[in-house]
Amino acid sequence: MSDIRNYDVIVSPVITEKSTMASEDNQVVFNVARDASKPEIKKAVEALFGVKVTSVNTVLRKGKVKRFRGHLGRQSDVKKAFVTLAEGQSIDVTTGL
Amino acid sequence: MQVTETLNEGLKRAISVVVPTQDMIAKRDEKLADLKGRVRINGFRPGKVPMSHVTKLYGKSAMGELVNETIDEQTKAIIAERKEKAAQQPKIVMTEDEAEAEEILDGRKDFEFQIEYEIVPDFEVADFASIEIERPVVDVADEEVDEQIERIAQNNRSYEAKDGAAEDKDRVTMDYVGKIDGEAFEGGADENATLVLGSNTFIPGFEDELIGVKAGEDKIVKVTFPEDYSAENLAGKAAEFEVSVHEVAAPADLAIDDKLAESLGLESLEKLKEIVKDQIVSQYGAQTRQKVKRQLLDKLDESHSFDLPQGMVEQEFDNIWTQIARDLEQAGKTFEDEDTTEEKAREDYRKLAERRVRLGLVLAEIGEKAEIEVTEDELQRAVMQQMQQYPGQEQAIFDFFRNTPEAIGGLRAPIFEEKVVDHILESATVTDKTVTKEELMEEDDLPV
Repeated sequence: MSDIRNYDVIVSPVITEKSTMASEDNQVVFNVARDASKPEIKKAVEALFGVKVTSVNTVLRKGKVKRFRGHLGRQSDVKKAFVTLAEGQSIDVTTGL
Repeated sequence: MQVTETLNEGLKRAISVVVPTQDMIAKRDEKLADLKGRVRINGFRPGKVPMSHVTKLYGKSAMGELVNETIDEQTKAIIAERKEKAAQQPKIVMTEDEAEAEEILDGRKDFEFQIEYEIVPDFEVADFASIEIERPVVDVADEEVDEQIERIAQNNRSYEAKDGAAEDKDRVTMDYVGKIDGEAFEGGADENATLVLGSNTFIPGFEDELIGVKAGEDKIVKVTFPEDYSAENLAGKAAEFEVSVHEVAAPADLAIDDKLAESLGLESLEKLKEIVKDQIVSQYGAQTRQKVKRQLLDKLDESHSFDLPQGMVEQEFDNIWTQIARDLEQAGKTFEDEDTTEEKAREDYRKLAERRVRLGLVLAEIGEKAEIEVTEDELQRAVMQQMQQYPGQEQAIFDFFRNTPEAIGGLRAPIFEEKVVDHILESATVTDKTVTKEELMEEDDLPV
């Protein structure tokens, strides 16, 4: 698959308290495309950040039901990927690509 | 922190300060630690944001703040430590290079800046007890009072209606409508207007035409506006005024008596005379004070000579110069019209600026030594005076002064100056000298 797909797979880094804790285990957290597969994510992260990935875990967070102007609405679902990097490697997610 | 003096020449000082990176970063981190407890960032509970993330987000702005603080504090501290007094706000020189500034903000480079300033010169205040001053005083002659009263009488002259033709000096009450080419123009009509013939208050020729009119008469007056008339759209145009005269009144005899005083709301002519005299005396008094002050300042100027901070002179000169340039421009004149050249004028005004700066320093020094202070009451009074000048806007003026401390400073300065002058005059030898009115009113060549 083409390189451009890499940019579609990785949507944004997740910067939260939880992701900061994960970084202590050499993990990085990204929001990824809804239809991205684990091998795809692994390949994209390795290509874009030039690191070695040992494993990828994903979660599909279902969209929350929110009320807006009295009407019920639903946020879209989000897929998050916890990417474990090989020992000694790191990504500075806050600086962006 | 490293402080080195790079220039010490006359009154000029330049000091270079280097703050090492570690110091800057340590201080920055202190600021950030404080910030950490307060910021709210999405994804983190308050106070739980990791330091590295805070640094990334707010490091630069914290450093920028720190740079400003360091400059403020250090400038004050360094000058105080050297036991010097800066004549003006010290000038701060920092790197102009964007990339270098960026590095400083990132904490990758030592922070360097230069303080440039001029010190207030040290000088001995001359002994002003030995200053001798002649106070010009004028005796107010009775004739002068009479003259003034006659003028008042003129202005309050009463008129008596008369039958018959209007003569010169008579007062005519009339309605009029002015027309140019058959069209009434703006400001050309009035009702029940009074006009004293021969007073030259209307368009030239208008008053002459009215001589000979009678009450109840209608007349068309044809006049031409003069070429240099102030309203441009009317200048040089021929106009017709339809005038209907209501009344012709002859002036009553000029009477200076108790009646005149009564018409002005006073009890008697004596009282009027008294008031007029007081007025004249206070006018002369102000002028006398002006002259005495002038002499005193001249003497002080002569008896002090020391190097002046050029920056102050420069600033004062610029002030004067912009004022002069604007005045000239408004008057539509050049320096040649004033019998001088620009270079010559520049030189003159530079001298004036030097004099002002020198006197300012001397007066400030004397005032400080004598512990002269401007009290709140005096300031209040000055603000009141300002308020009286703009009736109807008192509240606005009051707020303006309350909200702008600089404006108050502007009021404080003249009061301080007057008090110092008074203080000096107390110990100086002042002799009275009677002069004529003309001598007193004579203008000094240069403004003080």
